[in-house]
Amino acid sequence: MRATLATWVAGGLLAVLAMAAVTAPLAELAMGLDAQAVDLFSRLQPPSPAHPLGTDELGRDLLLRLLYGGQVSLAVGLAAAVVASAIGTGIGLAAGYLGGRVDAVLMRVADGVIALPLLPLLIVLAAVDLTKLGFPPDAAQSELTAIARLVILVSLVGWPVTARLVRAATLSLRRREFVEAARALGFSPLRIALRHVLPNAAAPILVATTLAVGNVVLFESVLSFLGLGIRPPTPSWGNMLTGAQELIWEDPRLAIWPGLLIFLTVVSVNLLGDALRDALDPRALTRR
Amino acid sequence: MLGYLVGRLLQALTVLLLLSAATYGLLGLMPGDPIDLMSGANPDITPADIARLKALHGLDQPIWSRYLAWVSAALQGDFGYSRLYAQPVLDIVADRLPVTLMLIGVSLVVALAIAFPAAMFAARNPGGLADRAINLVCFAGISVPPFWLALLLIILFAVILGWLPAGGMASTGGEASTLDRLRHLILPVATLTAATVAAYTRHLRAALIEVLSEDYVRTARAKGLSEHRVMTRHALRNALLPVVTLLGLDFGALVSGALITETMFAQLGMGKMIYDAIMGNDYNLALVGLLVAAGATLLGSLLADLAYARLDPRISYRADGGS
Amino acid sequence: MRRSLTALVLAAAAVLATTASGHSRENLTIGITQYPSTLNPMIDSMLAKSYVLATAYRQITIEGHDWQPMCQLCTALPTIENGLAEPFPSQAEDGTPITGVRKTYTLRDDAFWGDGTPVTTDDVLFAWEVGKHPETGVDTVKAYQDVLDIEVHSPKRFTIVARKLDYRYPSMGDFQVLPAHLERPSFAAPREYRNRTLYQTDPTNPGLWNGPYRVAEVRVGSHIALARNAEWRGPAPAFERLVVRAIENTSALEANLLSGAIDMVAGEAGLSLDQALAFEKRHGDRYQVIYQPGLIYEHLDVMLDNPILADLRVRRALLHAIDREAISQRLFAGKQLAANSFVNPLDWVHTTEGVPTYPYDPLRAKALLEEAGWVLGPDGVRWNTYSQRLSVSLMTTAGNRTRELVQQVLADYWKRIGIETRIVNEPARVFFGETVSKRKFPGLAMFAWLSAPESLPRTTLHSEGIPTEQNNWGGQNYTGFRNAEMDRLIDATEIELDREKRGRLWADIQRLYATELPVLPLYFRADSYILPTWLQGVRPTGHKYTTTNWIEDWRVVE
Repeated sequence: MRATLATWVAGGLLAVLAMAAVTAPLAELAMGLDAQAVDLFSRLQPPSPAHPLGTDELGRDLLLRLLYGGQVSLAVGLAAAVVASAIGTGIGLAAGYLGGRVDAVLMRVADGVIALPLLPLLIVLAAVDLTKLGFPPDAAQSELTAIARLVILVSLVGWPVTARLVRAATLSLRRREFVEAARALGFSPLRIALRHVLPNAAAPILVATTLAVGNVVLFESVLSFLGLGIRPPTPSWGNMLTGAQELIWEDPRLAIWPGLLIFLTVVSVNLLGDALRDALDPRALTRR
Repeated sequence: MLGYLVGRLLQALTVLLLLSAATYGLLGLMPGDPIDLMSGANPDITPADIARLKALHGLDQPIWSRYLAWVSAALQGDFGYSRLYAQPVLDIVADRLPVTLMLIGVSLVVALAIAFPAAMFAARNPGGLADRAINLVCFAGISVPPFWLALLLIILFAVILGWLPAGGMASTGGEASTLDRLRHLILPVATLTAATVAAYTRHLRAALIEVLSEDYVRTARAKGLSEHRVMTRHALRNALLPVVTLLGLDFGALVSGALITETMFAQLGMGKMIYDAIMGNDYNLALVGLLVAAGATLLGSLLADLAYARLDPRISYRADGGS
Repeated sequence: MRRSLTALVLAAAAVLATTASGHSRENLTIGITQYPSTLNPMIDSMLAKSYVLATAYRQITIEGHDWQPMCQLCTALPTIENGLAEPFPSQAEDGTPITGVRKTYTLRDDAFWGDGTPVTTDDVLFAWEVGKHPETGVDTVKAYQDVLDIEVHSPKRFTIVARKLDYRYPSMGDFQVLPAHLERPSFAAPREYRNRTLYQTDPTNPGLWNGPYRVAEVRVGSHIALARNAEWRGPAPAFERLVVRAIENTSALEANLLSGAIDMVAGEAGLSLDQALAFEKRHGDRYQVIYQPGLIYEHLDVMLDNPILADLRVRRALLHAIDREAISQRLFAGKQLAANSFVNPLDWVHTTEGVPTYPYDPLRAKALLEEAGWVLGPDGVRWNTYSQRLSVSLMTTAGNRTRELVQQVLADYWKRIGIETRIVNEPARVFFGETVSKRKFPGLAMFAWLSAPESLPRTTLHSEGIPTEQNNWGGQNYTGFRNAEMDRLIDATEIELDREKRGRLWADIQRLYATELPVLPLYFRADSYILPTWLQGVRPTGHKYTTTNWIEDWRVVE
């Protein structure tokens, strides 16, 4: 029952973080501040009643920036981790269960994607003008497009890890008695893969997905560094953390807050993942 | 078995050839070559200078003809000179690869040496105090970006305590001793290990918890085997699949991917070399560096596949899943 | 298991116990953010290379602390007044008659290569041969190709016959001498020269070096160590050994300094200004920090083809709306001068006389916008009668933290007067290689020029420098500024030898620039030098010739 308590706490924490991020504009209204308003005369202020967490290097309210940063980081982190895992799971299942040539082709593609040099790829992508691809200029520059682009990018390069983990589990599972039995009963391969193999491969999938959330949040800041991420003045936890690097001596507060929020997100997502695995575990009933 | 290996080798060669073309294409598609960058900061450079320099470095040729020239020379064993360092490409790679292999090797060994006991400890009583503490440390490990961890380690151990060097490969001047080299390795290895150890521990822990609830483990327990024996003899072997998978992946990824650690600690490894070569449009060096990294990835995945079959006798690589 | 653990702990303790050896003042370790790609003086000019080279390699002329040309290897600068320079009728490359110049230099008697061979006219002739060869890979070939002939009078005395007489004639510019007795074999195949040069294959050969130091050890990518050059006849430098270490990450560089791994950080390629300011605040008692405003001109290039920005009133309003003084004071502690034109106040041709300035005046900015037909809409952004929104894009290099901060400050100022700013950033190579150089930025582009003292804006402001598809995107007049008066002034200034008259032409250029505003000036960047308190004599110049050109003046003071 202790696990359930932890699950509730983790779920509650994630819900609070998400709510806080979503209601950032309301907080902005309530505090009577503009999250993007620069004030060069109150840079790096310590916490005060007007600024509960103080201000950043341009005199903007740190709390508001953290809330807005949460919108981007949580959306990108969760969405990209889930999409990448979904793609990876599908490919891993297919490769592991079907084996042979399908396996060889899919896994060499996975190797290729891992080995594909990311940096030139990203630079080439940064030069692609979305308006030339038929997107209206407003849509091309909107924040939603930026987030969607991040999710697609991260998913496209992130799936091979899950794919290889799922494939390894599937290779082991497909010879197990219950899978052989299902096959003997004449079930379709798709049904066997989804109903019998997949639930038993839940552990690596969930661990990989929940671990990826933290990685994606941090990866976003790398993409921002290349101009592919979130554009200033919109904040994200990842690029707040990167920006705070040069201020490590002067004002470590600027790094501690976004770092703490990333940590809390990682904790809650991982604990939820553990709970989900327990719930999905086909053997869990017998264990209790 | 031999047939399988030969097959994999042929596949690997195909992947490498495709990758070299893709990489060359990507490098060529990147807008702005170094000559453009030079002119972007220096108003003294004339259009004639730019045209002359581009012709000199072959940047005015179409990309496919440069690629074909590269492939035919490479097939004859001539990998050319690096444009950035004006040295034979193979000399530079031969210089950098051992540094990277050392970094990866040590950090993977350390990561495993920590992950195994930690995961076994945690899985013994899921949800217990030890499990929670270990989990929290893991979460912290993946929440801290490597550049921050590197910086914090430098500040603590080099600036405040003064125990370890802040960076570099060896002390300048005087002979480099093994001890000296070791001292320079500690912080970079710690940085690299932090991220991998968290993933290994979490995966191993999850797999162990699962295996420990299997019938045969319960049978072993019922027979009165000690918990330690159950863990090492029966559970661990079957829980190794995800860790072996990750090891295979990390081996390849780290050859080119230890960039941040190498930069922060001024280690002359492959990651930094490839990054500089790409940014400097040093085609020869970038291609060879990336192909070495790709080769490591392919090798890593082959080794992982071979290890699966040893760990789990049920695993074979024949196409018989659907039938 | 337990035993191996103990062994591990013991080994760790042993490793930790051998701390860095004690520090002595015989050595100086310098931290720098870049590693030089090659040590050959002619190939690939880059700041890190100039920095290291100047300790070991001297050229004929450079520019001094007063921003005027001076001799390094020569004995006197030739001028028409002292009779060492003499104009003659010459021809431009297209055959038009122009005035050329013959100028005579004498190499110093005490100039020697590190193997004891004197620096002679042979070396000058050989360098000319290498430099003008199109396959060598020199980036600015002008210094060599504009030389029509070199007449040798003695091993130490020669006359340069230069195609064109311009105001910079007393200097040899970027002409570098090479040790002919060592380098000639490497030049047998010019195309291979950059790979075969001894500066690359045998950099520790003492004969390659003619400065106070010689290269003693090279670890590519990591560090270069230099030892005293026995054949240096000038004042002896203070340090037995110099080590220049490359650490690219500036936070790591700072930590290395604090840990004692390096003694100082070179200002030429070191910490960013705000890092240095923060550093001084904490460690000002243990280090000296020198700020030197320099020739790096941060500005906004304006796309003049954009109808909104083609309106001069809008450009003026943009500048009136931003408080550059406050930006300079608050973000840079007043160390970076706000700019009124591209000419640095430290340059002798700089003037304020009659040059319009645009102080912070939001009311004036609003009035200018109203005048131009931009009326405030309900959403806080201005619109004109054609239902156009007053929205401007502002681009810069992604990942440059200082620029990204300033960019957000600018956007905020403009928002207050009803201008919407769309921030679009790109990696440097996309930004420079594509967007700026092919004039693809729709609004404003923020970047910097690094120039020399009294450097004519021919490529950046003359209408012949507008990049087009026809001229293969050559030229750096990215704004598309086309002004007959500016073209005339630039042409006239280049050939005006009379200093006073040239000064007046320069003043006209500055007035025209600040009136027409093809570019919105921001500020001149400052370099920050972080030195130990015991080191004296490091005097930054603010231009491209680094402090290491005077390394023999550096002294240890306890």
